[in-house]
Amino acid sequence: MTPSQTELLQGTLDMLILKSLALGEMHGLGISRRIEQVTRGTFQVKPGSLFPALHRMEEEGWLSSSWGESENNRRAKYYQLTKKGRRQLENETQRWGRISLAIERALET
Amino acid sequence: MWLKNAMWNWRQKRRADAELDEEVRGYAEMLAEEKVKKGVERRQAQWEAKMELGGVEQVKEQTREARAGYFLETLWQDIRYGARMLRKNPGFTIVAVLTLALGIGANSAVFSAIDAVLLRPLPFPQSDQLMRLSQYNPKAQSANPFAAPVRLEDWNRMNSAFQAITGYYTEDDSETSGEIPEKITVAFVAPRFLQVWGVAPQIGRDFTPEEERFGGPAAVLISHRYWIRRFAENPDAVGQKVKIAGGSIPIIGVMPASFLFPARDADVWFPVPVGAPYTLGRDNTWYTVIGRLKPDVTLAEARANLATVQAQLGKQYPKPDADIAVRIEPLKNTIVGDVGRSFWLLFGAVSLLLLIACTNVAALLLARSSQRRHEISIRYALGGNRRRIFRQLLTETFLLALAGAILGLIIAGTASKIFEALAANLPRVGEIHIDTTIVMYTLGCSIVVTLLGGFLPALRATRQGISSSLAQTSGTQVSTQNRVQSLLVGVQVALAVTLLAGASLLIRSFEEIGRVSAGFEPTHVLTFHVSGSYGETANYKALTQRIDRTLDSLRALPGVSEAATSNTLPGVPAEYPIEVKILEGETDPNRKITADSRAVSPDYFATMQIPLLEGEACQERTSGKTETANPVDVMVNHSFASTYFGERTAIGHHLQEIATNPFFLHGEIRGVVADAREEGLNHTPEPTIYWCFSAPMPDPYYLVRTHGLPMSLAETVRKRLAQIEPGRAVFEISPLTAHIAESFSENRLRTILLGFFAATAIALACIGLYGTLSYAVTIRQREIGLRMALGALRGQIARQYLFSGLRICLIGCVAGLAFAMASSQLLAGMLYDVSPDDGLALSAVVVIMVAVAAFASLLPAIRASRVDPMKALRYE
Repeated sequence: MTPSQTELLQGTLDMLILKSLALGEMHGLGISRRIEQVTRGTFQVKPGSLFPALHRMEEEGWLSSSWGESENNRRAKYYQLTKKGRRQLENETQRWGRISLAIERALET
Repeated sequence: MWLKNAMWNWRQKRRADAELDEEVRGYAEMLAEEKVKKGVERRQAQWEAKMELGGVEQVKEQTREARAGYFLETLWQDIRYGARMLRKNPGFTIVAVLTLALGIGANSAVFSAIDAVLLRPLPFPQSDQLMRLSQYNPKAQSANPFAAPVRLEDWNRMNSAFQAITGYYTEDDSETSGEIPEKITVAFVAPRFLQVWGVAPQIGRDFTPEEERFGGPAAVLISHRYWIRRFAENPDAVGQKVKIAGGSIPIIGVMPASFLFPARDADVWFPVPVGAPYTLGRDNTWYTVIGRLKPDVTLAEARANLATVQAQLGKQYPKPDADIAVRIEPLKNTIVGDVGRSFWLLFGAVSLLLLIACTNVAALLLARSSQRRHEISIRYALGGNRRRIFRQLLTETFLLALAGAILGLIIAGTASKIFEALAANLPRVGEIHIDTTIVMYTLGCSIVVTLLGGFLPALRATRQGISSSLAQTSGTQVSTQNRVQSLLVGVQVALAVTLLAGASLLIRSFEEIGRVSAGFEPTHVLTFHVSGSYGETANYKALTQRIDRTLDSLRALPGVSEAATSNTLPGVPAEYPIEVKILEGETDPNRKITADSRAVSPDYFATMQIPLLEGEACQERTSGKTETANPVDVMVNHSFASTYFGERTAIGHHLQEIATNPFFLHGEIRGVVADAREEGLNHTPEPTIYWCFSAPMPDPYYLVRTHGLPMSLAETVRKRLAQIEPGRAVFEISPLTAHIAESFSENRLRTILLGFFAATAIALACIGLYGTLSYAVTIRQREIGLRMALGALRGQIARQYLFSGLRICLIGCVAGLAFAMASSQLLAGMLYDVSPDDGLALSAVVVIMVAVAAFASLLPAIRASRVDPMKALRYE
């Protein structure tokens, strides 16, 4: 609960989830850990935001899910990117690049 | 996509929920195991995982919210849940639904009348193009708005603003096909009649141009009503004949049932041929003129255009057209008149009533929400978030409002019958009915009610957080809730007092009207018409003889003391202002002498018991209007004599009407009679001139003074007239008092309805007061018990609750009276001889309110004083 753990921008969480799943299928806790890892702890995704996002994205058709065994031999729900999700990730990445570039420039001047 | 997902979720709900549960729990367990690996003790790890998760149910609920169809699915849940809660509390539900049904029903009922009478266009195609045209003399006061047929034709030919202009004139006649003559109402119409209205006959055809010309074949159209009455809807009626005005005229068509104009009760439409000798005079004015504007022509343009046309006519026929101007008004305005103010006043009243109902329901819901605190806490604990619970509570209120609205619609459905029963001569009253507009309006009302009545209680009920709620035991806290409730009840009282103040002023004013001395004796007078046609005016002598003969035989009937004719009914508002000059002894030639003009038979004063003050009773010296060479005997009332003659005597002076037509009246004043309220009981008498002749028109009002009840003579009169005038119908037999009562029908309607609304408002406010106090007593039982145990007397406790009820009531009264005073302008012009701050009326309001409030507070107060300290303290 550090101050750096600010509210995620709308759509940012989606992008981070998509990015995490780009490497392969993953369950909820895995995704959450991965995001924590790649953002070096800036974003800690709480289950209260993670699960609604996952379920929404699955309905959008960006993710698909299946039940499998976890590392500790427990049943867990695994999510993977669909084709549509991959496309969405590309779009989001490009968009984000543009936005961050623009903001960076705005802040430099 | 959304819909598909929503459907899928709906069908797979159970499985999806189980999966969601497993997924979230799995997450927590994995989290715990992660911690165990890091070396945390297992139980500690499980606890930490749970804390980090923030509640399995909460997470599940949040996830469900993100899913498609969540809104609909939970809405359905909310509705079922709400319905179950309402069923579980039938007492609360019934009171709330009835309250709302009254509030919404009254509102929709008045709105349905406003919609039908004021808002909806007249039932004709493009009815906003329909205009009423009338002629008037800008220089002299003239009551005659009618136009001459030749002038109508000139207007129609010369103007460029109207598609067509037509006119009509109605007269009661007798139809003589059957054994007994039947009274029918004939509308004599100018050419282009149906074209202007834009309505085609239901069966048959319109008049041909030949039928509208002089010398062409005669033809009539009949009304749907007459078609049913006489021909039992047989299509063969077309081609058959009606016997009117001494002729037998073929029927060429039947108008549809919806065609209620010109006059609501016209049975037959008969074209007046253009060019007939009796239509040629420019002073023969009788048409009510209706025109249909061309598309895109504005009212102002039409007025300017007709002014130009009339100016041209003025040059062409200086006498009389130079003195004539044209007035144009939208037809709807002339039909609806100023009944709008009454309706808007009633609408204001029912809106207040609805507001009271909302407040009442809000207070009831508030009281209930504290009972439900426990239930709401549990819902929070089970993962419900505030928005969801809030919505559920509003849904419940909406269910109440909807049930109220449905019942309310039933009430509104009978509204037209109520209006018709209270005021049958209200314009367009037959058009009031429930349609989609009213249904939508009522639904709108229920949404407003939900928000007004449900928002605050739901807000307060859901304000508690999950932490505070479960810890509390129920029902011991006396929070600000009670203050809010008292405030709501105070508002109800204030609104009810406002309504009651308005109602009591109207009632007082009605009483005042009943108390005035009319100046004539309205009871024991039977009135009726005997049919006659304007054809008879060609021979005034014969007409006068006929009417005098009728009067003589009426007087000879047993049970009749006097009989007279008049062109107007005394006490029924109708004014015929004219301007006259006094022929001798006038010092100031510029003085304007105006008076109300009435034509009566010489026995009128004896019949109506209007006392003669000076001079002698008038005689019938001439036969009315045609023989203007001879002066008519004239009576004037006291205010005429004192206004225009002062100390001098009026007797013997000659009066002459200043008029644009050559049929002006002139006469000699024979006597002065006392002032009578001829123009209506609520009008102070104006200077009045009575011209003495018994045949002012072919079918004047007959006034017969009876010894017993007037209506008991109706049959006798009818039989006698059948003997002496076998070809004439006797109709509209009714006591004079009935006519006078009818003339107050709009006044009565608004007085009765406002009184009813005020009574309802008071009842609702009392329910509110009673409910709030009883609730306070219930939740304070322990406190009361404790106080009693410590030595408080029962009387003290009772007094305390009684006084707290009365305090709310008094504060409400003060606020309500202030509000009533501030809005008293609304009543201006509706009050007779009562000022808006009438002490009697307003103190009556306070007395009624306080008495009722005391009664409503008494029961809870007594209940409080009966609390058993032992039981109350053992409670819980």
